[in-house]
Amino acid sequence: MATNVADRRYRSWYAMLLRLYPRPFRERFGEGMAQTFHDLCREHRDARRGLFGLALWIFFETLVGIVRENTTHMSQLGKTMLRVALVALGLLMVPLAASRVVEGWNWGPGAFVFTYVLFFGTGMAYALIARKMNAWAYKAAVGLALLAGFVLGWATMVHMSETENPVNLVYFGVLAVGAAGAGLARLEARGMARALFAMAAALAVAWVITQVLSPDAPAGPVWNIGVIHGGFVLLFAAAGLLFRHASLNESK
Amino acid sequence: MAAKNTAQAPLTPAVLHILLALSTGERHGYGIMKQVQADSQGTAKMGPGTLYGSMGRMMEAGLIRESDKRVDHEMDDERRIYYELTGAGRAALKAELKRYRGVVALAGGRLAHGH
Repeated sequence: MATNVADRRYRSWYAMLLRLYPRPFRERFGEGMAQTFHDLCREHRDARRGLFGLALWIFFETLVGIVRENTTHMSQLGKTMLRVALVALGLLMVPLAASRVVEGWNWGPGAFVFTYVLFFGTGMAYALIARKMNAWAYKAAVGLALLAGFVLGWATMVHMSETENPVNLVYFGVLAVGAAGAGLARLEARGMARALFAMAAALAVAWVITQVLSPDAPAGPVWNIGVIHGGFVLLFAAAGLLFRHASLNESK
Repeated sequence: MAAKNTAQAPLTPAVLHILLALSTGERHGYGIMKQVQADSQGTAKMGPGTLYGSMGRMMEAGLIRESDKRVDHEMDDERRIYYELTGAGRAALKAELKRYRGVVALAGGRLAHGH
């Protein structure tokens, strides 16, 4: 009876210790490690040997593993951040060069910093989310969804700065639907597919809202705006289909 | 690419023991530990930290993968994750054993000359 209590206590402490592993490692091996510890405890219990020595050794050995995995994880994260920072810098060269060539394109330093932060943030989001799954469809879906979301957000900001029409805030609602959906889905492919389909539907609704609330907005012919909206809806739906493809392949 | 590099480079003792343990079939974490202990006649003791850390790197290198098998009827009905060797893992094990044979032959020859 006392051994069972000690067994449960050690297993509970071991489960807490496993939380110190980097999340990707924990999600991949945490359950297996807890199971292995449970097996070792059972082996010792069946052999009528005390658990204290075993627990002490395993806890120490696992702690060494935690330090090693966290060090590896941090160095990988550092490398990823450096790569993304360099790619974002490369992309920033486009508006920088354009501001020199195109007449009337006169961004201040703040605009360049803001743009760099957006490029870097989107790139890091891709790097961190895409490694959740190895499937090409999942990585492609993340890339497509982030690219479409980035362009939609950017276009909305530009459009709002030109027209100062608050109705356009509804497009940020579309991005919020995607962010909330991704959070609820915990980035799992199946839930992400639903989140992207919801974004496509929300965008279609957003277009109707903007047409109803501000039909006279000076943004060009209605059919032209409709085509642009339709394009974004298709992009989000395509990303949703890619997520669905990744989810179906995963469950096979 | 990673698998190719690993197949060419000398393996760490932990990786070699895990490859050896899996060379006879699919095993879960505890099963690998017991097999390593048996293969080394109790001299190699591997805890979960070393085992799963090594397995993570081996999976990234394509040497082992998760198997579809889940239930160990001999132990209980709990869901367990089993691991198995890949073709690259088997090739890495063969390459390591070839290296060991070369070292043994070289050492044997030198010791013979020494006598």
